[in-house]
Amino acid sequence: MQFIESIRHLVGTIIEQFPIVFPALNEGFLQTLKLFVITLVGALPLGLIISFGSMAKFKPISLITRVLVWIVRGSPLMLQLMIIYYLPGLVGRNIWGGGEQGRFIAACIAFILNYACYFSEIYRGGIQGVPVGQQEAGQVLGMTKKQVFFKVTLLQMVKRIVPPMSNEIITLVKDTSLARIIALQEVIWAGSAFMKSSHGIQGQIWPLFFTGVYYLAFCGILTLLFGYIERKLSYFE
Amino acid sequence: MKNLKKLLALVLAGAMALTFAACGAKTETETAKTETETKTEQSDLEYIKEKGKLVIGITDFEPMDYKDADGNWIGFDADMAKAFAKSLGVEAEFVEIEWSNKVLELNGKSIDCVWNGMTLTPEVTSAMDCTKAYCNNQQVVVVPVDKADSYKTAESCKELSFAVEEGSAGEDMAKENSFNYTAVKDQATAVMEVASGTSDAAIIDSLMAAAMVGEGTGYESLTYTVGLNSEEYGVGFRKGSDLTEKLNEFFEAAKANGELEKTAEKYGVQAALVK
Repeated sequence: MQFIESIRHLVGTIIEQFPIVFPALNEGFLQTLKLFVITLVGALPLGLIISFGSMAKFKPISLITRVLVWIVRGSPLMLQLMIIYYLPGLVGRNIWGGGEQGRFIAACIAFILNYACYFSEIYRGGIQGVPVGQQEAGQVLGMTKKQVFFKVTLLQMVKRIVPPMSNEIITLVKDTSLARIIALQEVIWAGSAFMKSSHGIQGQIWPLFFTGVYYLAFCGILTLLFGYIERKLSYFE
Repeated sequence: MKNLKKLLALVLAGAMALTFAACGAKTETETAKTETETKTEQSDLEYIKEKGKLVIGITDFEPMDYKDADGNWIGFDADMAKAFAKSLGVEAEFVEIEWSNKVLELNGKSIDCVWNGMTLTPEVTSAMDCTKAYCNNQQVVVVPVDKADSYKTAESCKELSFAVEEGSAGEDMAKENSFNYTAVKDQATAVMEVASGTSDAAIIDSLMAAAMVGEGTGYESLTYTVGLNSEEYGVGFRKGSDLTEKLNEFFEAAKANGELEKTAEKYGVQAALVK
């Protein structure tokens, strides 16, 4: 009985506070979305460049690239965020400024670098997974190396990498919450602000739990989108 | 294709050079830090004036620093900080930070001071240059209302399991009283631990407890009982900053002309002021 009573109380509180909490969370989620989109726009092409680097025939380049990938993949993103944001100021001059914009730019750079390294390995797998016979067939048909890459390899790579890429991109949605370590005010930050006091509401935990709805909805949309892309790319079968 | 490869090689080589430069810098952090401390550079006051703004590191903490309906920062600390910046002829900029990163933020120059009802603990005063205390505070024990009567003294609390904010004055109190405790991310989480029953009690600032628990808050089933100590709030600057003395002078002047008292009354903290 007490349980039912407390649920009723909670629902009442949520209904009452929702008009205040909802816009605040939306504002936070906008930051999450911005970070997500900018990371993708930066990391998708950069990842391809890094994958070329790690596949380069010229040994020093491939070695150096692989070391970079090892460092970035081998250390926590949270640590990378803190190093990128705080280190310049600690050793010399703070290049980011203290405001929200500087924190956002620093977060974007950390996320782009981090995700480009993960993407590069997916690209590498996709490119190396295309059977050699395909390239040979292209050569036999008199295509140049460039033509073989863009018209034969790249095309088949794209459809191979959709499942692992969608996995990584969905992880990115949730990883954006790590940016709060450098005080980027994304949706989790906005939600947990209500645990202390924010917008005149004190000591409420439900807004933080409610942020989960945003992630679920957004990941749901992405899942549908990737399913659609996969179906569109299912030619040759 | 060959040209493309060459270009790529160049771009990558450039990127690597940058990465290595960054790695090199990392190992030099320690030496660089001691250097800046000994070097007689531009003073903090000159640095602020050149920038034209004082960046104040805060957390959303009613009644010290919080937002009004229009999204402007107000509160006892925020109003005094604005007045202090004005007296220096610079703008006040408020930035929300992760509380556990406050020393890092300060030394990394992303903020210029921590002005957010900060308890002057030995950890704080050793890492920052702090002003004289301007406000009194207490660490209090938060417990569920139905248990409050059994835990009126620090001695009786020994059997409880506590949640405290990591690195806070509350954690120091838990250690001092040899309570059995878990350190959590912040004070709000500590209170949530009590509400959800994962800890029996929490130790937080009395000002915060007054705002967070009891009638009219989200934690109506909680209350606070024992005051474990008395402590003081101060403002923190970078080590060796000349702004600390400036702010001490400013507080003296504000006390003399009644501005401090007036601002405190506005936010209901006049009882806690250091006389």
